[in-house]
Amino acid sequence: MQMFYRKALNNIKISIQDPLYFFQSLTAFLRGFLYIIYYNFFTRNVKIGFPFKAYAPVRIIGPGSVSIGKDCSVYKNVFRGLTIVTSSCDAVVNIGRKCALGGLTIRCSKRVEIGDCVMTATSLIQDSFFVNYDKTMSIPINKPIPEPKEISIGNNVWLSMGSILLRGCNIGSDSVISAGSWCFDATIKDYFLAIGNPVKKALPIEKLQRLKGIS
Amino acid sequence: MRDVIAGIRGRLFILMCKFFRRNIKIKEGLKIYKRLSIGGKGMVSIGSNCIVDGIRGDSIQHVTIDAYSPEAVITIGNNAQLYAARIAAKFQVTIGNNVLIEESGITDTDFHSIDRSRGNPVDENRDKCQINIGNSVSIGARSLITKGVAIGDNAVIAPGSIVTTSVKPGSLVFGNPARTIMQGQSVSE
Repeated sequence: MQMFYRKALNNIKISIQDPLYFFQSLTAFLRGFLYIIYYNFFTRNVKIGFPFKAYAPVRIIGPGSVSIGKDCSVYKNVFRGLTIVTSSCDAVVNIGRKCALGGLTIRCSKRVEIGDCVMTATSLIQDSFFVNYDKTMSIPINKPIPEPKEISIGNNVWLSMGSILLRGCNIGSDSVISAGSWCFDATIKDYFLAIGNPVKKALPIEKLQRLKGIS
Repeated sequence: MRDVIAGIRGRLFILMCKFFRRNIKIKEGLKIYKRLSIGGKGMVSIGSNCIVDGIRGDSIQHVTIDAYSPEAVITIGNNAQLYAARIAAKFQVTIGNNVLIEESGITDTDFHSIDRSRGNPVDENRDKCQINIGNSVSIGARSLITKGVAIGDNAVIAPGSIVTTSVKPGSLVFGNPARTIMQGQSVSE
């Protein structure tokens, strides 16, 4: 109860100091509430947790099931909000609690799992090689296209700007994907920094901090 | 219903090209789901049974084909599927049959020189800069193909890759710059 009062007092202080911030957050809260009403009651397959702040437009398309946890927020990043596209009925997208999603696009045809407290910039998560995978099989193509494979991302991961995660990525918790890097079929352990296009090396963050003199 | 409207739009586009724009030649069976814009004075020819569409949920969904100079030639084969593709040519771009292109750019030139003047590039000619893409090639989303590249038949180009050197037939290519790597690569520490 004490925590609640402290939070409320803090919010009032901030709103007096910076009224524009207060107005923006209020509009984002109301917008998010409208999104919750629209998606939870008018579409069967999408579920969004209650406090949902939408600073930027949210677009969820497709027959697959999507669930977003409590206390998530969507920010505007390079003129993009959150877009989730599911291409088949079996597709599942699970996003955890307290995520800050800015400019993220997810194209799912099998399964994408994202943990709690994940922070993203404009990045692409795509678990199949080609988006129109089912349509492509209708024309005669004699070559092996890799099949879609599920992606899992741990807690407290930071996806930085321009990164692309393709099929079969397993990313451990507390790790960072650097800007412009590109993952394919890669497993990255906990608390590692992934660099490169394509990613070939992952560096332990503890070692990097020790080298730079930050402990 | 959607397919019928797309077929009608395709037929209207072909009729419009017959009367007003003689430099564009399109065979039968074109389906236009999203906007198709063809610009420039160069020759553009598209084969039969092609599909023009965009990727769902994206903000940019139209296909653009630009032939900048009057001697530019763009040819696209039969059964091509263009999903939000951007093709620009100053000299020559040839694309084979049964090709899939998803939200990626194919450009023939650099458009400007590296001098301070930023004028026309000097050392570019048709033999050096033309792009050849073979039959049944598929190109993933957010990838880019630069000048002077030849891609062999049945090649697969992964999403997000930038192709600067020519690709052998039947190979899987990705990264920046694009190279062949075996599947199931392991990340070292």
